[in-house]
Amino acid sequence: MTLSQGKAIFIWGTAISAVIFLVLTYDSLVQMPKRTQETKLDAHVAAGKWVWQKYNCNDCHTILGIGGYYAPDVTKVMSSRDKEWITSFLKDPERVWPNPRKMPNLHLKDQEIADLVAFLDWVNGIDTNNWPPKPMVATAVTSISPGEAVYKAQGCSACHTIAGVGGKVGPDLSRIGTVRDKEWIEVQLKNPKTHDPKSIMPSFSKLSQKDLDDLAHYLAGLR
Amino acid sequence: MKYESQKIALNYFIVAALLFGLQIIFGLILGAKYVWDFDPLLNILPFNTARAIHINLLVVWLLFGFMGGTYYIVPEEAQTEIYSKNLANFQLLLFAIIGVTAIAGYILGWSWGMPFLEQPTVLKFGIVIVALLFLYNIFMTMMKTKKWTVIQGVLLGGLVMLAGMFLFGVFFMNNLATQYFWWWWVIHLWVEGAWELITGAIMAFMLMKLTGVDREVVEKWLYVEIGLVLFTGIVGTGHHYYWIGTPNYWLWWGGIFSALEPLPILFMVIDTLRSVRERKVEIANRVALYWAVGCAVMHFFGAGVWGFAHTLPQINQWTHGTQITASHGHFAFFGAYAMLNLTLIYFALPQIKRLVTFKQSLGIKAFWFMCSFMVLMALSLAIAGIVQTYFQRVMGMDFLTTQEYMRLWYTVFWVSAWGFTAGVVMFLIDFFRLAKTKS
Repeated sequence: MTLSQGKAIFIWGTAISAVIFLVLTYDSLVQMPKRTQETKLDAHVAAGKWVWQKYNCNDCHTILGIGGYYAPDVTKVMSSRDKEWITSFLKDPERVWPNPRKMPNLHLKDQEIADLVAFLDWVNGIDTNNWPPKPMVATAVTSISPGEAVYKAQGCSACHTIAGVGGKVGPDLSRIGTVRDKEWIEVQLKNPKTHDPKSIMPSFSKLSQKDLDDLAHYLAGLR
Repeated sequence: MKYESQKIALNYFIVAALLFGLQIIFGLILGAKYVWDFDPLLNILPFNTARAIHINLLVVWLLFGFMGGTYYIVPEEAQTEIYSKNLANFQLLLFAIIGVTAIAGYILGWSWGMPFLEQPTVLKFGIVIVALLFLYNIFMTMMKTKKWTVIQGVLLGGLVMLAGMFLFGVFFMNNLATQYFWWWWVIHLWVEGAWELITGAIMAFMLMKLTGVDREVVEKWLYVEIGLVLFTGIVGTGHHYYWIGTPNYWLWWGGIFSALEPLPILFMVIDTLRSVRERKVEIANRVALYWAVGCAVMHFFGAGVWGFAHTLPQINQWTHGTQITASHGHFAFFGAYAMLNLTLIYFALPQIKRLVTFKQSLGIKAFWFMCSFMVLMALSLAIAGIVQTYFQRVMGMDFLTTQEYMRLWYTVFWVSAWGFTAGVVMFLIDFFRLAKTKS
């Protein structure tokens, strides 16, 4: 090979790749407003994106799978947590999720939290080509009962353990159905202080009657 | 060293070495946060701040190294003194001030919040000014003699591309997906584009000088390598466009082109080994030779093999956003760019100091410590990432529970990182011993 042949490889290799890339870039930019539901991207979402950046959330959490690997990915967080839960978590992470690995309390203003939630809600709607994928084993082996879905969405495992998975702040619930019935559990969920005035468990009376019913049914069935 | 102004490089190397040391300290702090969940620094130096500093220091010390290397190489290639020594020194000072301000700002909570590009906008404009001053100085030097060698042409091309791509990361966009689309034009087209050009040019220059092989041969292969780098690397950006709200044809384009990305790196390994085998002079600077050959090999494994392992969309959908990426990041940045800069320092420093012979044992020991412990670090993070991929992604276990199962590998990673640190300390001692000698 000669120097000029080497030069030709360089020029043509670069040019071909650059042209393909620029054409695909143009097409992507045309398609992305629809794929990201830009019509729903209002001033709140934009303000929330700035809150996300201002507090440098992305160097602990990944979003769209990019960022720090120290804390959970938040791309689809609004599919598994409700707005109230996220709001109270952001107000005081330690109280809602007393995990050994902690998120610092950022002392966010109410408006900042509302904007951030709007932002996360919008991110949740981005078409990510089905990322993150549904777990293979979990979807193949078990289907989740409605009550278990409420248990997950409310983040009960922050404090309670079922079958070895979860926190140690509250009692282990793996076999709770052997000692408590459904009615007792429902009262506990609505007002934990009824059974123990010193209980630190937050009340879940905000849940709909159906969710309470499902959750109590699920827990009472753990034997 | 033939030109007085090549000495400008020394101050750049000193700053680079200091920032490298500082980067490692923040790395050890971050590692400890993974090993022990109890974090006494939670409200003083939380993980995100420490990570921002760790990765910013990495980029900045590498840039200082590239700049120093450029000031060293261009006079010899252009056969003239640097256009303005004062400008070069002012540019160093300005960049250092911006760097210190950025780090102090992060600690005080002043951040722009995009990974690697956390610098607040006003500082970003400062960085653009630094880049323009630097490019102006280099370009004017080249224009003095207009000797357009391939090496300095590629070097200038890489530096212009580096500065140009940065502009895509300066502006705030309301749409996160679009923001990340352009963000990758900075991050990916730096490390798998512009930086590879700079690395190729610097390595070609050093191999030519170290081994005495003909310029024509070196430059021919430099063309082929960077041609392949850009051919695979530009469309290869698509491996970052699988899951961020971009159309799904990127799975094909990104997958195929990025799967070819190890090829040019393999070329570099073959090229390096051939130059050494066909050397026309005895290589007196053994330590530079160690780093050069080691760089080619570690570049290939860290960037090429480790990158290939999770670049195909069928695999990446499971590994994306896990510690697999962190393993690759550590291995590739060290193998490709940290080692290139360390080669450069060991190549240029003895010449700047006009040392015919110098004690090389500590430099070689530092080489073995850093390389072997980096391999251990990359392996342990890779195992942590595999555990995470299977438990969290395949089985559906939640994030924090999975982390418990990864703790053992975080610990191995962190202990290995102390071994790596020992290598860095050896390098720093050796470096400052050399830098202090009177020329």
